[in-house]
Amino acid sequence: MSESVGVDNLIELDYVKIDGGQGTSKANSAKRDLCIQHVSKSFQSKNGSVYVLEDINLEINQGEFVCLVGPSGCGKTTLMNIVAGLEKADSGDVWANGRRIQGAGPDRVVIFQEAALFPWLNVIKNVEFGLKLKGISGRERRNIALEYLKMVHLTKFQNSHIHELSGGMKQRVAIARALAMNPEMLLMDEPFSALDAQTRWILHYELQNIWMKTKKTILFVTHNIREAVCLADRIFILSTSPGRIKKEFAIDLPRPRDDNDVNVAEYSTRIMQELKAEIDKVVRCEMDADSCVECDIKCTSVEPAKTDIGGGI
Amino acid sequence: MYGMLKRAIFFTLLAGLWQLLFWLGIWPEYVLPSPVSVCKTLARGFQDQSLLIGVAISMKRIAIGYGISLGVGIFVGLLIGRFRIFEDTLGSLISGLQTLPTICWLPLSLLWFGLNDRAIIFLVFMGAVLSIATGTDSGVKNVPPLYIRAAKTMGAKKWKLYLEVIIPAALPHIIIGMKQGWSFAWRSLMAGELLIVCLGLGHLLMIGRELNDMSQVIAVMMVIILIGILVDRLFFMKVERHIRERWGLVKS
Repeated sequence: MSESVGVDNLIELDYVKIDGGQGTSKANSAKRDLCIQHVSKSFQSKNGSVYVLEDINLEINQGEFVCLVGPSGCGKTTLMNIVAGLEKADSGDVWANGRRIQGAGPDRVVIFQEAALFPWLNVIKNVEFGLKLKGISGRERRNIALEYLKMVHLTKFQNSHIHELSGGMKQRVAIARALAMNPEMLLMDEPFSALDAQTRWILHYELQNIWMKTKKTILFVTHNIREAVCLADRIFILSTSPGRIKKEFAIDLPRPRDDNDVNVAEYSTRIMQELKAEIDKVVRCEMDADSCVECDIKCTSVEPAKTDIGGGI
Repeated sequence: MYGMLKRAIFFTLLAGLWQLLFWLGIWPEYVLPSPVSVCKTLARGFQDQSLLIGVAISMKRIAIGYGISLGVGIFVGLLIGRFRIFEDTLGSLISGLQTLPTICWLPLSLLWFGLNDRAIIFLVFMGAVLSIATGTDSGVKNVPPLYIRAAKTMGAKKWKLYLEVIIPAALPHIIIGMKQGWSFAWRSLMAGELLIVCLGLGHLLMIGRELNDMSQVIAVMMVIILIGILVDRLFFMKVERHIRERWGLVKS
């Protein structure tokens, strides 16, 4: 890759496979907050099984902000669901905080694209929801919830109904609700992609401030490279069908960063070039599904991810 | 307020028309009593407490029967809504039973429980339980999966997931089922009381017929209608409105 002017602090690492045998040891994963090892996932289609994720290896340190970037359909949301424990991988393991994950848990709270706030509860009770499940008593619960509502600047709206909030406010309540649980890490699945540009810009700023204050580990999925550069310490680029980690970038820029900062723009352009080949592949698929052999697989696997939403009592 | 006025004028006119028909004397009094004599009977009924006792007895029966059907209906609805096996088995049984008018359970109820309160309570129960179960079922099936996923990542498991997420999220549908169940239960109660001699409003209606006292018949009918309206207005309409406001379905 050619070096762009003004981006000399871009550290580009070619992705190196993590050796499973050595990487697994518990001692090694002490400061690691998340270890994804050899995770593969496939779905059944008419043409046989299709790999959505193939041998994903990833390590995230405590307090790190990591973005997963890839074109649509590359399986980044599937990977997120596996880390969250909402889906099971076909093979491979995910270790969170030194423990192998078994299903969903309050140590890894997910923030979804839609805020997923509960309309039968008002704002403050939504923030208290997780605390109530933990069995924390009424007054303490209220205090913790207020503290995090304050962090997202929404104390004024504590008694509002959910439908009275704007899209951006809803996501801020969702962030407060997640933080109130004091989780090991936050998993954010394209949380800002349904918002308008201005709101997104505000939330990028707010999220960075929150992250600097709380030092939570954050795994953030997005298809927006600019967003990833604005937020992340490290960015992983995923390729499509099968989903593999293609490249890793470290972003070393002072915070809080601005979407419109020149350096952010430069980084984004560089990464965009990396992704271009992948995007072209997807475009070829969508435009010419009949003749494209390599993406025959991808295009037939339209069935949505089978997610366990929990049947058993 | 304007609606209230319109309604008041309409009902006054209706009563006037009724009084007019009575004055014309086309029908004898035991066929068409005057509104005044119906009012007198109502007043007497409240004075000697016979109507009040009837209301109290009927309300007690429906409270017991409806209460049981609420518990059973919601539980069965949850099972059908969440588990395929119950949907295929219990679900089809319930949709089959729904075609059966509740009063058809009377002979069976009499044989099982005898001529007593329990037979009537069973009728009330059968009237309400199916509607509540199907309402809960459709409510559970319409819970957005996102809510459940979000709750799970916050540590909601097993019965807490049901209590804190699934039931509240299904509440709008459960209320619809409850409302329908209530009106079925009220009808079954009256039908049962007409046929089984054991006090209650339905029984007062039959006494009116036996004494050839048409004004008592009409007075009791009015009380029955009034209770139906009151429960609808004081409970169901308020709850529905509250839910619509919460969910943002109406401008409050």
